[in-house]
Amino acid sequence: MKPIIQVKNLTKEFTFPVKKASVGWVKNFIKPQKRTVVAVNDVSFSVGAGERIAFIGPNGAGKSTTIKMLTGILHPTHGSIDIMGFDPVQNRKKLAYHIGTVFGQRSQLLPNLPLTDSLEFFGVMYDMPDRDIKERISELVTLFELEDFIDQPVRKLSLGQRMRAEVAASLMHRPRIILLDEPTVGLDVVAKKRLRELLLKINAEQGTTIFLTSHDVGDIELLCDRTIVIHHGMLIKDLPTKDLAHTFVFEKYIDLISQDAFVQFPDLPQGVRYLTKEKEKISIAVDINNISITQALTKILLLFDVQDVDVYDADLETVIRHIYEKA
Amino acid sequence: MKKLRLAGKIITTLIKDQWHYRSRLIADLVLMFVRCGILLVLYSYVFRLKGDVIHGANFVTVAWSIFFYFALSTLRLRDVARLIMQDVQSGAVETIFTKPISYIFYRMMWQIGAGISSFVVAFIAGSVALLFFVGAPETMFVGIFVPSFIITFFAAVVLNLILYVIIGFISFWIEDINPIFWLVDKTIMILGGAFFPVALFPDFLYKMAIWSPFGAAQFITHTVNASWQYQWYMLVGMQIMWICVAGFILFWVSKRAQKRVSINGG
Repeated sequence: MKPIIQVKNLTKEFTFPVKKASVGWVKNFIKPQKRTVVAVNDVSFSVGAGERIAFIGPNGAGKSTTIKMLTGILHPTHGSIDIMGFDPVQNRKKLAYHIGTVFGQRSQLLPNLPLTDSLEFFGVMYDMPDRDIKERISELVTLFELEDFIDQPVRKLSLGQRMRAEVAASLMHRPRIILLDEPTVGLDVVAKKRLRELLLKINAEQGTTIFLTSHDVGDIELLCDRTIVIHHGMLIKDLPTKDLAHTFVFEKYIDLISQDAFVQFPDLPQGVRYLTKEKEKISIAVDINNISITQALTKILLLFDVQDVDVYDADLETVIRHIYEKA
Repeated sequence: MKKLRLAGKIITTLIKDQWHYRSRLIADLVLMFVRCGILLVLYSYVFRLKGDVIHGANFVTVAWSIFFYFALSTLRLRDVARLIMQDVQSGAVETIFTKPISYIFYRMMWQIGAGISSFVVAFIAGSVALLFFVGAPETMFVGIFVPSFIITFFAAVVLNLILYVIIGFISFWIEDINPIFWLVDKTIMILGGAFFPVALFPDFLYKMAIWSPFGAAQFITHTVNASWQYQWYMLVGMQIMWICVAGFILFWVSKRAQKRVSINGG
């Protein structure tokens, strides 16, 4: 299958003047000292049609810069991008017909007017015939359940409603790819869940490729089948989301529930450590590079009188924290 | 055709949007009428003192010239520079850059849409008031007046937009364009005849008004002068020349500006 997005050796450097306190303002103005920051460094990946990609990394990792290069907003310093045969720099306008974008912290809607006006506005921007615009608005209203607030000025919408509206607006022209930059930032749990369900729906029903950046573990875990990790502008890992825990965290966890009450907390075997020590429950971390989980469990069960045992992997939040800290 | 439809949509959407700022629209109009009115009262007094004709121009000509300047200013074309600066500073430029449209065209149409309601009201109401209180200058009855006025008006709108968009684009290089904006804006105001009517300009200032793009951006203030019927094709030609020159500069600047886009959030 030919990739829908192909990124090769993508690099973005930002150069800016730095004021030097030791020299006068004239020299600073005429011949300023320049500083170069590499925001994205030799990143390569490809995305197949219909995939759901999480593009994650800590603040300043280069996620948004990459998305902005994919959309043609920023020009790469080196490397190439091919999205459905288009180079975003050379063919920004042509490419725009095939991609939708949502920037979680920036609205593209007209604040004073009802949502229908924004949707019509985008329809004309994308050169859709009037009849198509009406039909598409009606489809989106049903799909995104917008009817309750479609006639309200956008500035009066709640954040959750506005984000649904933003995503709907970005899908007005039926793009094959949607790029979302932190779409759930600031949303409550209900609004997040609803937005994720909608994104899964358009991916399943319309085959829309989803490429999102997020700090929200839920977005990654529930929405994306593949995760690309970036840090200091470099691609660290590109793997199925379900493999994140095995790849980055070499620990498993065991919860022991007491028969009566834990009164003694003996030393644990090498590679095993206490996380919490309570009368009712003990939590233990096992370094699986040091000791297998079976060996650890056998040794631990000799030390305690337990009613129940629970063995589990690290949650995704812990995994991501590990990734960021280690990187 | 696509561009025309888009322009129509942007302008009509903005007219709807402006309806939410009705009070601002009224305030703008009142301010324009007050400023223009005060100047006209002062000039009518000066003309009465000087025997109704100064430098070959009468009060009727001067009044219409000043009014045309203020009417054009209600289109608020200059605001496009600050709008672009805000887009660049806030990073909002990215939401427009992801659309299949030209950023420059979009912002120009946006600005026209934002000011057109005020302009139409100010132009009609002001023209009626001036006709009623001052009368019309003789040049308005010459056959070429209406078509040449329309041409020079559209050329003035285009030239103003190009000049202010160039200033706006400077914000891709420097954080604050306000000093440059102030300098250019005041030059356009002075050479356009905002404070001192063009008909009364001393020779050197008149030449500056004629031969600079800043003066050419306000040539509608010349349309009521007695010389207009003989000069109009030369002045319109000059406007078109400046549109070409400034348009080329804008094209050059915008190509470089796009490469300099840097938006917060990595």
